[in-house]
Amino acid sequence: MNKYYKILNNYSGWYYILPSMLVLLCVVIYPVIYSLAISFYNRPFTHKDSAFVGLDNFIFMINDPFFQKAFTNTIIYTSSSLFFTIVFGFTLALLMTKISFGNRLFQILLIIPMAMAPLVVGLTWRWMYNPLFGLINWFFKLVNVEPQAWLASQETAMIALIWVDVWQWTSLVFLIIYAGLSGLPKEPFEAANLDGANSFTIFTRITLPLLKPVILVVLLLRTVDSFRTFDSAYVLTDGGPGDATELLSLYIYRQGFFFNNQGEAAAGAIMMLLFISLISYIYFKYLYKIKN
Amino acid sequence: MKNKEIMIKIVAYVVIIIFSLISFIPFITGLITAFKPETIQIHSPPIWIFEPTLSNYERILFTKGNLYNLMNSFIVTFFNIIISLVVGIPAAYALARFNLKGSGALLSWIISLRMIPPVVVAIPFFSLAQSFNLYDSYIGLTLSYMCFSIPMVIWIMRGFCVEIPKELEESAMMDGCSRLYAIYKIVLPLMIPGIVATTLLVVMVIWNEYLIALILTGREAQTLPVSTARYITRVRIEWGSLFAANSLIVIPILILAISIQKHLVRGLTFGTIK
Repeated sequence: MNKYYKILNNYSGWYYILPSMLVLLCVVIYPVIYSLAISFYNRPFTHKDSAFVGLDNFIFMINDPFFQKAFTNTIIYTSSSLFFTIVFGFTLALLMTKISFGNRLFQILLIIPMAMAPLVVGLTWRWMYNPLFGLINWFFKLVNVEPQAWLASQETAMIALIWVDVWQWTSLVFLIIYAGLSGLPKEPFEAANLDGANSFTIFTRITLPLLKPVILVVLLLRTVDSFRTFDSAYVLTDGGPGDATELLSLYIYRQGFFFNNQGEAAAGAIMMLLFISLISYIYFKYLYKIKN
Repeated sequence: MKNKEIMIKIVAYVVIIIFSLISFIPFITGLITAFKPETIQIHSPPIWIFEPTLSNYERILFTKGNLYNLMNSFIVTFFNIIISLVVGIPAAYALARFNLKGSGALLSWIISLRMIPPVVVAIPFFSLAQSFNLYDSYIGLTLSYMCFSIPMVIWIMRGFCVEIPKELEESAMMDGCSRLYAIYKIVLPLMIPGIVATTLLVVMVIWNEYLIALILTGREAQTLPVSTARYITRVRIEWGSLFAANSLIVIPILILAISIQKHLVRGLTFGTIK
């Protein structure tokens, strides 16, 4: 019965995989290695003064106050967005299990932000935040709050940017957690109800432990996606005012394509990749641990 | 007890309705602005009752040339998805069916590609595109997007392949079919719902992509998101044109997202949750 599989186990299965690996070799592995190579040189390879400078670009970036600022901003941005999307998304998912009428319509409405391109979200919110005719100020005027230049002031620009991320991705957290909740087995809950456990105990003792893998996947996706945000931030503030909302992606883009410092940009990008890999590695390790 | 349940229900409805409105309002006000004549686009308080006009769409599509960008987006997305499916599906099948040595490590590596920040590949893509003469070309952009689409195709399709019972092909093969014929006759038809869902999920990512397109395209291959963002200039913002173009990006994807809602979670989590 299994002789077909045994024969294939040796090598021919790899023929099916080979084409995709060849493409990935060209579009992922080669570019990343190329990027690593650029990061060790002072100028692009085509330049006549191009010379090997070792780790100079990395040292430059680590000591660069703008890079440090961008890193801190990205951490603040990511952790705030993560916190609020998880809290809001989880609340919505739990509440959605309590209602029985209109679920489908509400789900469609809640999906909208997630289906919008991050670029379009940025552009839309640029309009929403406009100090003169934006809906946000119009809304705040109704409740007697002074109009603000949300994106132009040092104090509010970061909050405005984080809110946009929360607005867009709460629906993703909601959707995944809701799917996770719907897939949970019924028996533990019935047993707990018979034992007279209250809903808080049921939530912390049964729901959360059962949902742990789902929650970890959501956390991982949200961490990585917020950490690498570019589109919406680029059209909303482009790092401004000053460097109040400068994020890593924006800064690396600016170094590489505006100041034309490809070596520094590549070094920054490699460090960003290493940091993201580290975060993902920790999540994955934890995920495997609880799955086994 | 009964009262408490009713209270919970009321709270649930109130919170869900508030969040739904918050999600919906920015989208719908943008869409409405796309149909507003220029004179009332930026008015405070916003004007809700007006005679809708298609002039914004006419302008962006035929005067500003966004019809061409729309076509570019379509071409790049189309060829990207075709090639990704052709090379991705066999890999997905093999990783689901054969007990290959090292396939676990390979799968972990493929999923880790989901984490790469676009800006990291943007820098080498730019240099490489120039040295291979692929800057501002469909080929350059289509190829670059493979780094997002192929991992997605492999992971999502693998999930669908695992669900197809292997007894079906085995019995066909015992009747004397070759494996490839069994795949073609039996597995492929069963894969079609999965292929449709995968296609739509990948289209969502490629169609919306901005950073790589911004870096790799000039006049010729510019996609719709890149040309849309150009309505913001230092001098002024053409809100009517901007929102008309926005809606061209969003509406097709929104329809796709709603129609594949069932598979959305699986696609977004790379098949880790069904």
